[in-house]
Amino acid sequence: MNSDIILETRAVSKFFRDPVDFQALKDISFKISRGQFVSIVGSSGSGKSTLLYLLSTLDTDYEGEILIDNEPLHEKSKNQLAEIRNEKIGFVFQFHYLLPEFTVLDNVMLPALKLGKYDEDTIRKHAYEKLDLLGLGDQAIKKASKLSGGQQQRAAIARALINNPSIIFGDEPTGNLDSKNAQTVFDIFRELQLAFNQTILVVTHDAQFAGSTDRRITLKDGELLSDEMLK
Amino acid sequence: MKSFLKRPAFRIAMTHLLSKKRQTIVAMLGVTFGIAIFIFQAGLMTGFQNMFIEQTVNTSANVRIYNDVQVAKKSIYSKTLPDTSQSWVLVRNQKPKDEEPRLKNGYQMMRIIENHPEVIGVSPFVGSQAIFNMGIAQVAGRVAGVDIERENNTFNVEKYMIDGDLKRLVTTPNGVILGEGLAMKLGAATGDIITVSSAKGSALQMRVVGIHKSGVVELDNSRAYINIRNAQKLLQVDGSYITDLNIKLKDINKAKALAADWQKQFGYTAVDWETANANVFSVFKIQNMVTYLIITSILIVSGFGIFNILMMIIYEKMPDIAILKATGFKDKDIRTIFLTESLVIGIFGGLLGLIVGWGLQQIAGSVKMDIRGFVAMEYLKFNTSAGFYAMAYIFGLVATALAGYIPARKAARVDAIDIIRSK
Ligand SMILES: Nc1ncnc2c1ncn2[C@@H]1O[C@H](COP(=O)(O)OP(=O)(O)OP(=O)(O)O)[C@@H](O)[C@H]1O
Ligand SMILES: [Mg+2]
Repeated sequence: MNSDIILETRAVSKFFRDPVDFQALKDISFKISRGQFVSIVGSSGSGKSTLLYLLSTLDTDYEGEILIDNEPLHEKSKNQLAEIRNEKIGFVFQFHYLLPEFTVLDNVMLPALKLGKYDEDTIRKHAYEKLDLLGLGDQAIKKASKLSGGQQQRAAIARALINNPSIIFGDEPTGNLDSKNAQTVFDIFRELQLAFNQTILVVTHDAQFAGSTDRRITLKDGELLSDEMLK
Repeated sequence: MKSFLKRPAFRIAMTHLLSKKRQTIVAMLGVTFGIAIFIFQAGLMTGFQNMFIEQTVNTSANVRIYNDVQVAKKSIYSKTLPDTSQSWVLVRNQKPKDEEPRLKNGYQMMRIIENHPEVIGVSPFVGSQAIFNMGIAQVAGRVAGVDIERENNTFNVEKYMIDGDLKRLVTTPNGVILGEGLAMKLGAATGDIITVSSAKGSALQMRVVGIHKSGVVELDNSRAYINIRNAQKLLQVDGSYITDLNIKLKDINKAKALAADWQKQFGYTAVDWETANANVFSVFKIQNMVTYLIITSILIVSGFGIFNILMMIIYEKMPDIAILKATGFKDKDIRTIFLTESLVIGIFGGLLGLIVGWGLQQIAGSVKMDIRGFVAMEYLKFNTSAGFYAMAYIFGLVATALAGYIPARKAARVDAIDIIRSK
């Protein structure tokens, strides 16, 4: 057992039965070690998002095995998976999914309040730390809906970080951003990796983004076409 | 509780409601309306029924023992047959025996019953149909021959006198106390002389010494209290003749059992107050059913208001639900959010409903009505007991929770992937 492996898939396949039988993923196997910054690329419809939902425990209907921190997911209950997501996984989607009526600070604090590991004051302190890290310290008590697109995406990253997750999953986190903001987000990921040894797995269409990561996994029609170490 | 108010689920719930102030208020008013109607309608119903029961229990016998001569007798011939289930016996035109409704040894029975520990008092009674005349006015009614002191001690006749003096029934040789309605029909007032005649053909000139109003309309329209001796005179019977024993108990809930005991012990019919008023109570039952049906339908409508607003919020907040689930909120946490929303609506809408319902009761209760139904009342009488209000409130909260449960469950079942994929 390798304690440095954060995420592992063993021959993962995914079938959709509705509207027609369709295999979206075929025998996907790979391992991702702690501190790796990995990108997943592939043409539209190749199965990137589908794979990400499986890896992040949101989707539980698959064949094969997925392990996070060496623990197989398939034997976990729905509630246990929710706890795993809460504690070990951070999400950054194309859309920010901030609760619009809450302040940026509240949004960032929510997953930690749910986890309940620290008291509210400590959580607030941690949330400020994450926001400072992302250059949003001065925006903390603004309503989330009042921020710019790039700021909202950074707030979403701060929220993903609040419980110090084992891995951050991104599904086109720069998809809605202009190239400057996209570069900022990339730089943040890189900094998180370097400073905190954060493991990051990002699905992207952005060739430049993918080319700058440590490792690029390419999917084609649900199959693993290539798995290249770039660094 | 305090920690719940600080929990994210509660804060999210409140934020949702505050982001839809107008719809929230409308949903709350729906509950307010439902509870207010509950308080008013059911309060009126039970208030009236309680008053009727109270009046019945206070002013009439808890148990009445009498000789039921109408009991159909078996024909003598059928008594000679060993087993009538094997054969038919047909005796046409069998006439009832000319039997007086007398309680034999009535006074002895009275002494025995009086000594029972559950008994407050027993009042002997001679009842008969009678015709009341004053001038050309003629009214059919009933005389109630009583020992007025005993009757008063057991049934508090004096409290319901609206004119004249109870004691003069004893001091005046031929005194009569008329029911209010009866006096009105005769046009008689205290001091007037009326004629009372019985079916046996005897008649007495009697002086009205008082007017009585029990509140039970049927009684007040037909009953006249006279001395037991005079009643016996009217019926041309001896001084030991009594037709009824009216018994008052310490605990009215024991009436049924005691009536059964005495019926067995003395061989005469004994009915408890509930059985005697069974027809009224069955009307009450139907009334209650209709009332609670109406209230239930109103609360269902209120429930739709809540259902509606929650469904609106849920559709609007799909992305929020998706991210909460993605970041580790469990299905039950999501359910809690929306159940909280419906309960907040129910708690505050319901409280307001209690206040509005109470206000309606106060207003309607202060208007002079002079209603004559089973009982006469000047003002509407409402149930204002705390237990009743609590019941209405709980009813409302349960309806609210039920109305919120379906949307809450729907929200809990939202599939985060569906939402995230479509964004
Ligand atoms: N719920 C579903 N039911 C049926 N088929 C689905 C479902 N979800 C995805 N698919 C199919 O699975 C395949 C992979 O979809 P997926 O969303 O993973 O692609 P993707 O690589 O993320 O594409 P894109 O780059 O456009 O986001 C597609 O052919 C899609 O039509
Ligand atoms: Mg995709």
